[in-house]
Amino acid sequence: MNKAHGAMALTLLAALAACSNQGPDEGGSTPASVLARTVQQAVSARTADPAPAAAPKSAQERVAEALRVNPGPLIQVGFEGLGRTQIMAMTGQNGAMRTYMTPAEEAVILRDGMLVGTKGLGRDLAVAEPGTEALIRAGQSGRGTRIMRYLGGDGLERPLQFDCTTGPGPNPGVVVEDCAGHGVTFQNSYMVQGGQIPVSRQWVGPGLGYITVQTLRP
Amino acid sequence: MRRSRLTSQLMATTLPLALVVGAGYAIADPMLARNMSTYGMPGGIDTPTAETLPEGTLGATISKSDYALRTNVVFQALPQLTAALRYSRVEGISDFRDDGFIYDRSFDLRYQVVEQDGWRPAVAVGVQDFLGTGVYSGEYIVATRDITPRIRASAGLGWGTLAGKPRVIDATDEGGTANVENWFSGGAKPFASVSMQVNDKLSVTAEYSNDVYRSSYRLRNGNLNTFQQGDKEPGNLNFGANYKFGRNYEVGAYVIGGETVGAQFTVALNPRESVYPSGLEKAPAPVRPRPARDADPEGWSGQWAQDPTAQPAIQKALSDALAGEGQLLESMALSPNRAEVRIRNQRYIQQAQAIGRTARLMTRALPPSVETFVITSSADGVPASSVTLRRSDVERLENTEAGKIAAASALSDAPLRRGDLTMTEDLFPRFRWRVGPYLDLGLFDPEEPLRYEVGAEARASYEITPGLVLTGAIKQRAFGDKEQRGPGIPASENGGVRGDHYTAEEYLADPSLETTPEGVPRVRSDTRMYSGNTSPVIPELTLAWFARPTEQVYSRVTVGLLEQAYGGVSAEVLWKPANSPLAFGAEVNRVRKRDFDGLFDFRDYEVTTGHVSAYYEFSQGFTAQLDVGQYLAGDKGATVTLTREFENGWRVGAFATKTDLSAEEFGEGSFDKGITLSIPISWATGTPTRDRASTTIRSLSRDGGARLEVNDRLYDKVRDSQTVKLYQGWGSFWR
Repeated sequence: MNKAHGAMALTLLAALAACSNQGPDEGGSTPASVLARTVQQAVSARTADPAPAAAPKSAQERVAEALRVNPGPLIQVGFEGLGRTQIMAMTGQNGAMRTYMTPAEEAVILRDGMLVGTKGLGRDLAVAEPGTEALIRAGQSGRGTRIMRYLGGDGLERPLQFDCTTGPGPNPGVVVEDCAGHGVTFQNSYMVQGGQIPVSRQWVGPGLGYITVQTLRP
Repeated sequence: MRRSRLTSQLMATTLPLALVVGAGYAIADPMLARNMSTYGMPGGIDTPTAETLPEGTLGATISKSDYALRTNVVFQALPQLTAALRYSRVEGISDFRDDGFIYDRSFDLRYQVVEQDGWRPAVAVGVQDFLGTGVYSGEYIVATRDITPRIRASAGLGWGTLAGKPRVIDATDEGGTANVENWFSGGAKPFASVSMQVNDKLSVTAEYSNDVYRSSYRLRNGNLNTFQQGDKEPGNLNFGANYKFGRNYEVGAYVIGGETVGAQFTVALNPRESVYPSGLEKAPAPVRPRPARDADPEGWSGQWAQDPTAQPAIQKALSDALAGEGQLLESMALSPNRAEVRIRNQRYIQQAQAIGRTARLMTRALPPSVETFVITSSADGVPASSVTLRRSDVERLENTEAGKIAAASALSDAPLRRGDLTMTEDLFPRFRWRVGPYLDLGLFDPEEPLRYEVGAEARASYEITPGLVLTGAIKQRAFGDKEQRGPGIPASENGGVRGDHYTAEEYLADPSLETTPEGVPRVRSDTRMYSGNTSPVIPELTLAWFARPTEQVYSRVTVGLLEQAYGGVSAEVLWKPANSPLAFGAEVNRVRKRDFDGLFDFRDYEVTTGHVSAYYEFSQGFTAQLDVGQYLAGDKGATVTLTREFENGWRVGAFATKTDLSAEEFGEGSFDKGITLSIPISWATGTPTRDRASTTIRSLSRDGGARLEVNDRLYDKVRDSQTVKLYQGWGSFWR
């Protein structure tokens, strides 16, 4: 293949990669087209002008704006593994279970502040079954089993079981839960107020690490 | 049946964390390979070890030295069974082509008989290059054991090549069959290797090998022709170093016999280690629980059903919401306490995920009195199964273990009668088109390992009603090196010389050439005649009709230009109950060979070809298919296909066809066989799509055992939403 052909191939691929009346779901996604799309995205990312730099908002400003725009319950979640903090709004409530989402439709599901699952983050927690929940809400010391289920790369939901102990944390009003299993240890911290957990730091899983949850509006 | 599968697939036991988290928390399984050999198998440098790869691993190793360039594909089919397919350029040997090298394919199998346990080493038995021409033919028994956590040693006994006693290759043999009578014969010699893991990434290996890199051919006249591969015979000691980087890569360098230097590169993919195991798709809309009875007495009473505008409004809202999830709401039936929706999943590789998202959207769209949800999966217009759920269960079990909602649901054949199903407005007829580039690759041709063609393709489909589809495509080549060429000239017609081809002109000028001297019509061996057209060609133009005459029987009739080389009529029926792992099918085709210009003309050859088929889905993701019937050349026989299918959609399969053509009539390879690979694109990118990267690597394009390549055969079409595959992917229900 000479250079002219190579250039022509790239032009062809770039020019023709996405010309149809089909939605993104309806096929046409071959390895070659995925490659072409990636190239296109890389090129457009490089050529696109950086957006005019608006003065970055401070954390307080963002919280204030979110509280103003959103009438419903709001939480602020720090994803330690992803290195970002986001304000999430409640999009659904099923009993005590609440689904909060980012504007990009990534979800964190909490039951009265206790982490139940995450969605849309790539290495999600499918569902947590904390056998220690009652102990934590009561602020008691004790032992329990925590099962965390994950969707594996093979498409199967796999349970991981951890042995946990709960006890008072370093600060008054804080309950810590120490868990160990499968060669991993983690520590969840909950600030418990009347059975509710307005502030916490909880382990999501090996892929995402910890999240910190802070209730902005209950 | 359903319950037992459920139990085994959903109530999965606690598994090592490494399975879930992939790299980073690697758990030291002592007998997983540290590096690949030059033959692309777990091993030392040239010698084998008793190590394995993580189950399901699919890898490729390219290894180059003065002796050979080997391209190896390896697959860990079972925890103990490793298979490798190799395409080598062996230097220093000349066959009839007299190039100073040959291209050679070979196939290896290895079975780990016992694992390492206490003082006992792992032990494996293997056969190397046991089909085909046999340049690398050899067998071995090898034991491997960890001496210290860093140092691992292997020792074994080798036969054939591994003993430095290469098998004499019969130049008149068509190859392709196992030479069982030679196995473990001709005298054995020991080999050994030691590897040391310097750190997480680097390992070094030393080995003692008896391979002399020599090949002997028995010619037609009885003479023995012996070649030294490469420049010279190596010594016995080889040394190598391998370095791993990224999640999936490894580079290595090695010295064979102290003088010949080589290098290799490996990429290994494990289906269980997706970068985004749970996918990057947006979170689903959560369940909306119903309001209390006294908060919505009209909704709970079913009074709303009296309003004729209710169903159209609900259907429109649900259809719009489903469209956002990549689901087409084909039709819907709504009564005060039951709703059936027929959905066509266009986005998710797991049908369970489409069903789970649909169920949640139904809780948001339907009035409170509707308690029974029936979600019927339509396979491109053909209803293939129905999942029935109670709305209260969906509300109660949201975001719990997936097995619970599975146990609370029922899978059945889709109801046959359309009853009160109302088609969604403005959906049909449905016209779809796409114009785009194409890249056509031809791999593993003995003379040209890589051929390509690039051009533009327009493709359109017009679905008149669900299941009645007109499809067409037109292709224009831009450039490439896939030129038109006639089939190979049989040696008997060419003064004993093999390897020459008829030119396109010669082939067109003499119609008698379309039958081989053995009397076999050329149904596939002249495939290259269809290549290289510089004017537009029509790869396909068909009208297909899919239907379901009874609840468990599906049918397909396709007419038109069915594929590149054949046009005609193809009809198929399939019996496949939604809850059965067993299926039977029958297909009959009356086709005529298309002209080489790829347009509307036909050649003289016409044939009836067809098969009866049996399909069975075993546990552990194995599916087997047996086809018995008449093939394109009029030969009769059977094809056996065995496929390993992973829950996430990876498929690796092997097939073999034997017909009543003799090995001589069939030609090189003796019978048709090959390997199929298919990887979902979503596995690699994390974005939800049903698209796949698929390829078939078959031995050689021959005329025996050839099948018509008609699109949309029923079995794979209806299976996604039926018992085995649906429950395999059920973990994605709340995804």
